Amino acid sequence: MRKVLGFLFTGLALYGVYWFAANRLFDEGSYRKQVAFGSVFVPFGWAYALLGLLGLVALILLYSLLYTALVNRLQGRRRSPWPLFQEGVTHLFLWVLILLVYYPVVQVVAASFDPTNNLFSFRRPDTGFLLLDAKVIPYLPNPSLENYAALVEGVVLYPYQGALLLLAALALLGVGGIGLLRRLLAQGEWMGLWQGRLLFLMALSVFALALSLSPRQFTGQGTEAKFLLWVRNTFLISGLTGLLAVLLTATAGYAFARFRHLPGRYPMLLFFIFVQMFPGFLALVAIYYLLSRLDLLNTFTGLVLAYSGGIISFGTWVYKGYLESISPSLEEAAMVDGATRWQVFTRILLPLSAPMFVFIFLLQFVGTYSEFVLANLVLTGVETWNVGVGLRSFTTGQFQTKWGVFAAASVLGSLPILFLFYGFQQYFVSGYTAGAVKE
Amino acid sequence: MKHPPGLKGFLLALALLLGLLLLATGVGLLGYLALEAYLAPPGWTILVLALLVLVPGAVALGRLFPWLTDWYYLLPALAFLLVFTLYPIGLTVYLAFTDYSGRKNGFPDRSTETRVVAQEGARLVLEADAKEALRCDPCQGEQVEAYAEGHRARAKILEVEGPSLVLDRDLPFRAEYVAKVNTFGFVGLKNFAFILSQANQALLPVFTWNVVFALSTVLLNALLGLVLGLILHNKALKLRNFYRTALIVSWALPGVITVQVWVALLNYNFGAINRLLGVLGIYPIPWLNDPDWAKVAVLLVNLWLGFPYMMTATLGALSTIPDELYEAAKVDGATPWQTLWGITLPLLEKPMLPILLSSFAFNFNNFYLIYLLTGGGPAEEGRLATAQATDILISWAYKTAFSAEGQSAYGLGAAISLIIFALTVLISLVNFRFTGALREVR
Amino acid sequence: MRKLVPLLALGLSLALAQGKITVWTHFGGPELAWLKAQARTFERTSGTKVEVVEVPFEEIKQKFILGAPQGQAADLLVTVPHDWLGEMAQAGVLEPVGKYVTQDYLADLQPVAVEAFTFGGRLMGLPAYAESVALIYNKKYVKEPPKTWEAFLALAQRLTTGSTFGFLYNIGEPYFNFGFFKAYGAENVFGKDAKGSLDPAKLLIGGEVGEKALQFIKDLRFKYNLVPEGVDYGVADGAFKEGTLAMIINGPWALGDYKKAKIDFGIAPFPTPPGAKNPWGPFLGVQGVVVNAYSKNKTQAVNFAKTLVTGRNLVAFNQAGGRIPVSKSAVRQLAKDPVVAGFSQVFPLGTPMPNISEMGKVWGPWKNAISLAIQRPDANVKKIVEDMVAEIKKAIGR
Repeated sequence: MRKVLGFLFTGLALYGVYWFAANRLFDEGSYRKQVAFGSVFVPFGWAYALLGLLGLVALILLYSLLYTALVNRLQGRRRSPWPLFQEGVTHLFLWVLILLVYYPVVQVVAASFDPTNNLFSFRRPDTGFLLLDAKVIPYLPNPSLENYAALVEGVVLYPYQGALLLLAALALLGVGGIGLLRRLLAQGEWMGLWQGRLLFLMALSVFALALSLSPRQFTGQGTEAKFLLWVRNTFLISGLTGLLAVLLTATAGYAFARFRHLPGRYPMLLFFIFVQMFPGFLALVAIYYLLSRLDLLNTFTGLVLAYSGGIISFGTWVYKGYLESISPSLEEAAMVDGATRWQVFTRILLPLSAPMFVFIFLLQFVGTYSEFVLANLVLTGVETWNVGVGLRSFTTGQFQTKWGVFAAASVLGSLPILFLFYGFQQYFVSGYTAGAVKE
Repeated sequence: MKHPPGLKGFLLALALLLGLLLLATGVGLLGYLALEAYLAPPGWTILVLALLVLVPGAVALGRLFPWLTDWYYLLPALAFLLVFTLYPIGLTVYLAFTDYSGRKNGFPDRSTETRVVAQEGARLVLEADAKEALRCDPCQGEQVEAYAEGHRARAKILEVEGPSLVLDRDLPFRAEYVAKVNTFGFVGLKNFAFILSQANQALLPVFTWNVVFALSTVLLNALLGLVLGLILHNKALKLRNFYRTALIVSWALPGVITVQVWVALLNYNFGAINRLLGVLGIYPIPWLNDPDWAKVAVLLVNLWLGFPYMMTATLGALSTIPDELYEAAKVDGATPWQTLWGITLPLLEKPMLPILLSSFAFNFNNFYLIYLLTGGGPAEEGRLATAQATDILISWAYKTAFSAEGQSAYGLGAAISLIIFALTVLISLVNFRFTGALREVR
Repeated sequence: MRKLVPLLALGLSLALAQGKITVWTHFGGPELAWLKAQARTFERTSGTKVEVVEVPFEEIKQKFILGAPQGQAADLLVTVPHDWLGEMAQAGVLEPVGKYVTQDYLADLQPVAVEAFTFGGRLMGLPAYAESVALIYNKKYVKEPPKTWEAFLALAQRLTTGSTFGFLYNIGEPYFNFGFFKAYGAENVFGKDAKGSLDPAKLLIGGEVGEKALQFIKDLRFKYNLVPEGVDYGVADGAFKEGTLAMIINGPWALGDYKKAKIDFGIAPFPTPPGAKNPWGPFLGVQGVVVNAYSKNKTQAVNFAKTLVTGRNLVAFNQAGGRIPVSKSAVRQLAKDPVVAGFSQVFPLGTPMPNISEMGKVWGPWKNAISLAIQRPDANVKKIVEDMVAEIKKAIGR
C-alpha cells in the first residue's frame, strides 16, 4: 500500500515538473531564441562538452583496464577492473561538482581583485581563449589590491593592539601546527589540552582587541573604510550573543532533561517550543519600542538582548537532548552522597557539556554574524554597523554599487566564519545530530 | 519540602514565579518613574531595579517554598522569553486588529499646525478657518493636540465654528499651536478581511508557492545530499575526507554574501551562468526575469546553499547503521543495489525524517534567501505589488509592513504575521505527529 | 552631599541636552566632508556640538518616523527628498519651519522648490538642491545630442554593437520612466483639485496615457532592441563609467563618478518619444533639510539648518558634489558650470514629484506594471494598466 502511494506520488510530482517545464518554462515568451549580449555562442556546445566528458570517462576506463591488467599480470591475480573504473567515475563526478560549487566563490574572489569596481564588464577580452573571451572565467587584465586597500584605508592601529593581533595569529598558528602534528604523530594527551589552551588564548586576544578598538581609529573617508570596525562590532555583538545563549539555555536544558518530577514540565516545554515559532523579526516594531523604552536603541547591548530571544528554545531543546543521552547514574550517586542539584549540575554536568556549549555558541555566533534586518533597525550610523548591514549597504545604497569593494569585504568577512566552521566542524555535526537525530 | 503535585502544584509554582516577575517589573517601573522626577535615568534602570528585586525575592521565596527552587533553573530563559518573545507577540496580536501604520501612528500631524490667537477656557480661536487649517471634515470627535513651550495636552473637538474650536476639556496652560492627531484604533477583523478580499492576488498564490517551494527544496537537497552521503560514506574511496571538507563550503559561507553573488551570476544578459550556457549552445535563460524561471532559480540556488547540510546529516545518519548488517548481507550474497534498497534506505528513514521535517519548517520561512535573491520578484500578472512571483508568506508580510511598496502598514503586516504563526504551528504539529518527538518527551 | 549628586547629574544632563544636536545624513565622500566642515564651523560660532551620523538613504525615513516621537532620532536630516514630506509630516515628526524663515530667504528660492517643500500649506523644510534625470551622453560617441526621436533611435541602434551600447537606463524604475508618461499626456501622477492641490482620486498615469507610455517602454526593449533584459541601475551606470555606453538616463548624483572615470559627458533632454503630444519631462525632485518636531534643541537645530542652505554654502556644496542648488543667487554664481547649465535646460520641462503620502501607494504597483510590460514580448499592456490602476485605487481607498 505504502509503495503504491509512493509510486503514485512520485508519478504525480514528475508529471507536474514535466507540465511546468513544457508549458511555463519553455514557451515562446519565456525562453526566447536570442543570444545574450556580448556573449560567445557556440552552436551545439553542449555536444562538445558531453563528448569531452565521455572522453574523460573513456580515459578512465582505459586506465583501469590497463592498470588492472598490469597488476594482475605482475601479481598473478584475477581481479575485475570495474571497481577501479567505478571509483574513477566517482572522482570525476565529485570534481565536476566541486567545480560547480566553487564557481561563485571563484567569481567573488576574482571580483575582489578587479580594480574597475564594476559588476559586469562590457569590453570583450580578445585573448583567443574561448572561456576567457566568453567571460565564463573571470578576466583580470590588471589585478590589484585597490579594493582591499579601500577597506583598510586610514585605519590606525596602536602598538599594543598590533601585539594582540600578533598573539592571536601565533595562537592560531599553534593550533594549526598541533592539528598537523595530530595527523602525523601518535595522539598525545597534551595535544588536545594545548590546542584548547591556545584556542582560548586566541579567543581572548581577539576579544581584547575588539574591545580596545575605538571608532576614532578609523579615519578613512569612505563608508567602506569602516569595514574592520564592522568586523570588530560583529565580534562583540555575536560573541556576547553566543555567550548569553549558552548561559540562558544551560540551566533550562538541565531542568527539562532531569527534573522529570516537576509537574507542568511538559506544558512548559510546549510553551518554549511553540512560542518560538513566531516569525520573530516580523515583530520589529514591538522590539523597537521595547528597546527604545529601555534606552537601549543604538547600543550593542540592545541588539544582543534582541538576538538572544531567538535561540532560547532551540538551544534548550538541543541541550536537553544531549543531557538525556548521558546516563544519570553518576548524578544519582552524587545525590545519594548528599550533593545538591546545583552541585551536580556545576560539578558533573557542566564539564561534560563543553561540546554542546561550543555548538550553541557557534550556532548563535554564525547565525547573527551577517544578520542585517534587526541590526539595521537597532543600529543607526555607519560606525555602529555589523558586517551584515555593511555588506548589504554596498549593493543597495541609493543609486550606488560598489561591486569590487563588496567582493573584497565578502572575502575578508567570510574568513572568520570559514575558520570557525572548518575549525569546529565536528561540533556542528555532533550538535545537529544531538538536536535533530533522536533514536 | 516536596513539590505539590499535579495541576495544582504547577499552577501554584507558575503563579509564584510570575508574581515574582511581575513584582520585580512593577518595582522597576515605579522606581524608574520616581527617579525620573529628580534625574534623567536611562531606561535600562528599570531592568537593573527589577533585578535588584528579583534576586533577593527569589532567595526569600526559596526559603519559604523550598520546592520552588527547582523552577529557578528555568527562570532566566523564561524571563527572556516573556520579555523578548511573548511581549512582541502580544503587541503584534494587538496591532493586527488596529489600523496602525507609519502615518496613522497616534501623533499630531504637524502639517496641520495652526496658531492659536485667543484662548478662553475650552474655547480656542485659531488664526484661520479651523476646518480648513486642521483638514478635518467633520471635525467633531477628532483628537487634537495643543502645545506651547514645555507643555502639551490632547483633547477632543466638541464643536467647530469658523476659526474657533470648543474642546472637551480646559487646557491647563496657554496654548500656542494646535494640530490634529492622526489616531489609530481598533478596526476589528478588517485587516484579515482585507487579506481575504485579495486572497486571489496574494494569500492563495503566495501560500501555494510557499508550500511547493519548501517541499521541493527539501526533496531536491535531500536527494543530492543522499547521493553524496552514500558516495562519501564508502570507506574505500580515496580523498574521502577532502571531499567532505571541500563540499561544505557553500554551507559555511555567510548567505548574505553568496546569495548576492548569485544575483549577479544569474543576470540575463551579463551573468556568468548564461554566458556559460551560451558557450554550451543554449540560449540565455531569464533566471530572474521570468516568474516561472525565477522559481527554478530559487530552488537551484537553495540547492547550492543547502545540500552540504543534507550531505552531512546523511553521513551522520549512515554512521548509526551497524557494519555487521552489511557484512551479513555480503555473506548472503546480496548485490550492492539490494543492500541499498534493503538495508541502507529503510534504516535511514528514521533518523532522516526529523531532519527533513525541520528543514521543511526552516525553508517554509526562509526569508533571507527570497529577500536577497529575488526580493520576491519578478512581477507576475494579477498580483499585489507586495506579493510577487517568488514571494513567500514571510517576505510578503515583511514587504507589507516595512518596505516602500507596503507603506509601513504595520497593522496589516501584523495580521499576516499571525497567519504565518498559525500556519507554522500547524505544520509543526503535523511534524511532531509524524516523528513522535513530543510523545517521547512526555 | 546626598542631595548634591542628583543635582549634579541633573545639571550635567541638561548641559548635554542643550549643547548638542545630531544630524543624520546620507551624504558620502566630498559631500560628507563638506557637511562635517560646516558642522565644525557652526560649533565654533554657536558653541553647540554637532554630531554627524551617516545613515543610508533608504533607512532614514522609517527610522525617523519610528524614532522621533521616542526621542531616538536626529534633530536634523540632511537631506530628504520632498516626496517624503507628506508621509513624514502626517506622522508628525517634521517641524513646520515657516515661522523661522524670513521673506528674503524665501524670495531667493526658486518657486518650484518652495512649492515642493510646502505640504498642507505649511513649509515643512528648507530646500537645498534640485535633481532630475536627463539624457547624459558620452561625447566620445555622441557629438551633438539627438533632437528628434528618429535621430536618437538611429544613433542608439548604430552604437549598439557587440561591445558597446547605444542607450541604457534603469528601465524598471518608475522614477526614471516618468518622462515618457509625461510625454504621452500625464501632467503629473495626480491631477489637481479645484483649489490647486493634488487630488489622490485623480490618477493620471492610467488609461490611454499609461498604455501608450508602457507600450513605448516595452518597445524600447522588444521592438527597438535597446535596453536588453538584465539591465538595471548598476549595469547601466557601470557601462557608462566603463566608457562602453553612449547614452544613459541618469541624474546629477552620478556625475561625480563619471568625472572620476574621466568620461567627457554632456547633458540634454530626452527627445520627444514617437507619437507623443508633449515633450519629454522628468520628475523634479527637491531635497532639503528638515527639523525633528520632537527635537530637544530646536533653536540650534534650525539655526544650523539655516546656515547649511545659504547661497554661499550651497555653492561650496555644489563644488563638493555637483548638486544643483535651488537658491537663485547660488545658481547665478554657478551659471558657467556645465552641469548646472545642462540641467537648467532640463528642469523647466519637469514636474515636481507629488509630496502627498498617497504617492507611496503608487510606486509599488507602478513599478510592477513596468516590470510586467518589459518581461515578455507578448505582454498585454492594456490589462497591465487596468490592474495597476485598480490596485492603486484600492490601496488609496483603504
